[in-house]
Amino acid sequence: MAVIGVGRFIQQRQDFEDSIARSYQVEMAARVQVAHGTGGKATRAAVTAQANRREELRDQISSDTRDTAILVAAGLIAGLTGALLLFSGLIASMRRPLEELVEASGRLAGGDRSARVEVGGLSETATLGAAFNEMADELEQEASQRDQLDRLKDEFVLTASHELRSPLTSVQGFAELLMLDRDSLTPKQVDTVEIILDNCRHLVHLLNDLLDLARSDAGRLAVTPRPTEVAPLIDDAVRTMRAQTEGASQMLSERIEPGLPLIDVEADRIRQILVNLITNAHEYSPEGASIQVAVRVVDAEVEIAVTDDGPGIPENQLEHIFERFTRGDAGLTQRVGGTGLGLAISKSLVELHGGTIGVESTPGVGSTFSFRLPVSSRAPGAGASPAIAEAS
Amino acid sequence: MTRVLVADDSETILLLMRTRLELAGYEVETAADGQEVTDLLHEGEAGRLPDLLLLDAMMPRKSGIDALRELRAAGVDTPALIISAHQDATDADAPTDLEVSGYLTKPIDFERLLDSIAELTRN
Repeated sequence: MAVIGVGRFIQQRQDFEDSIARSYQVEMAARVQVAHGTGGKATRAAVTAQANRREELRDQISSDTRDTAILVAAGLIAGLTGALLLFSGLIASMRRPLEELVEASGRLAGGDRSARVEVGGLSETATLGAAFNEMADELEQEASQRDQLDRLKDEFVLTASHELRSPLTSVQGFAELLMLDRDSLTPKQVDTVEIILDNCRHLVHLLNDLLDLARSDAGRLAVTPRPTEVAPLIDDAVRTMRAQTEGASQMLSERIEPGLPLIDVEADRIRQILVNLITNAHEYSPEGASIQVAVRVVDAEVEIAVTDDGPGIPENQLEHIFERFTRGDAGLTQRVGGTGLGLAISKSLVELHGGTIGVESTPGVGSTFSFRLPVSSRAPGAGASPAIAEAS
Repeated sequence: MTRVLVADDSETILLLMRTRLELAGYEVETAADGQEVTDLLHEGEAGRLPDLLLLDAMMPRKSGIDALRELRAAGVDTPALIISAHQDATDADAPTDLEVSGYLTKPIDFERLLDSIAELTRN
């Protein structure tokens, strides 16, 4: 509109200039005639008429100029508004895909592998969107391949552990058969069969540990917690280990704080952790060492600690101690019969119960492995603290 | 004499079970899979039913669980122990409709097995 206005203005201006020029020419011709005395009254009137005509023309042009100015202003305002609308549309068309990209990136980073954006808008944002989708596709594919590999690995461990049990049953069963008739065996044969049986037990232990870890990795290691008294659990584990520690002249003792609250645990699993920790203390400590199991309440949690006065663990080994197949000093492992999985499993089990496990050790002084479990929210039973027992 | 029917797809395990159970004074019959278990019982007369079933949970052709399901459907109420190669098979896994008397895991703890058999066959 402004362009039309300006065009019209220039045209009008041109016409005006032409008309003025023509008017002067006519007036000049008239004035020449008057000067030569050839023009009459009519000629003099023409001179005045031309002056009047130019006056009219000037009035008209100034009114036209005003109209044109209004037209140009209106045009400019319309143009600006249009440009503004166009621009805000442009911004909106960029902003929406960008917002969508930001949102989808957030979801992808948060683990939602199906996060994608709708490809559209300007060519730049469309390209960005397409690139994002391509990247997300690749990530999803890689993740699903990794999941599949994990599943295959877990499946393999489960199947292998299952398949190994039948032949192991035969080996152990027939060795036990031989031992049923041990009086007819020579002492050397008895020793031989005992070695077979020892190794069978070790294999079973290893299979069970591997299975636990595979389950833990697959998120299928589950516990069924029940409100449980702590002291009998400790007694039980200590009784299980007594023969072995006495065999090495080690002193195994327990110190249980009176009036412990109940804990929500699966008793068998806690016993498994305790036996693991006491076995480690027993196997890594020399003959005559002392091992203590201490239980106390710390910050609304029950802390169970197994302390030995064995050789201790060097600092560089401490940080990896709960990783699988990590074992203590190589010199000692020759006679240590563990699987290297006990602490890794213990850690998984403690965490599955909502607890924490840790270790403190000073080389030459000894080691303490301790774990904490939350106190049961259920009303305490026989394990009620004396204070509560008195109050009720 | 108390008769026990043992089903397992491993001949070695069957030999082991037979030897161990016969030593403990039981009469032992064996089957290589669940199909043989159901065949044996369908052919045999009611008086020939064993006093106890010892079934491997997983066998080709027909599993111990499937065989037991068929027997229970046919009205056979012989006590049954299921042997599973799964480490954590417990009584909680027992299909409730099958009246399983107990679960044992491999490797078999024979002392526990013999205790269970003695208890289940004591009349």
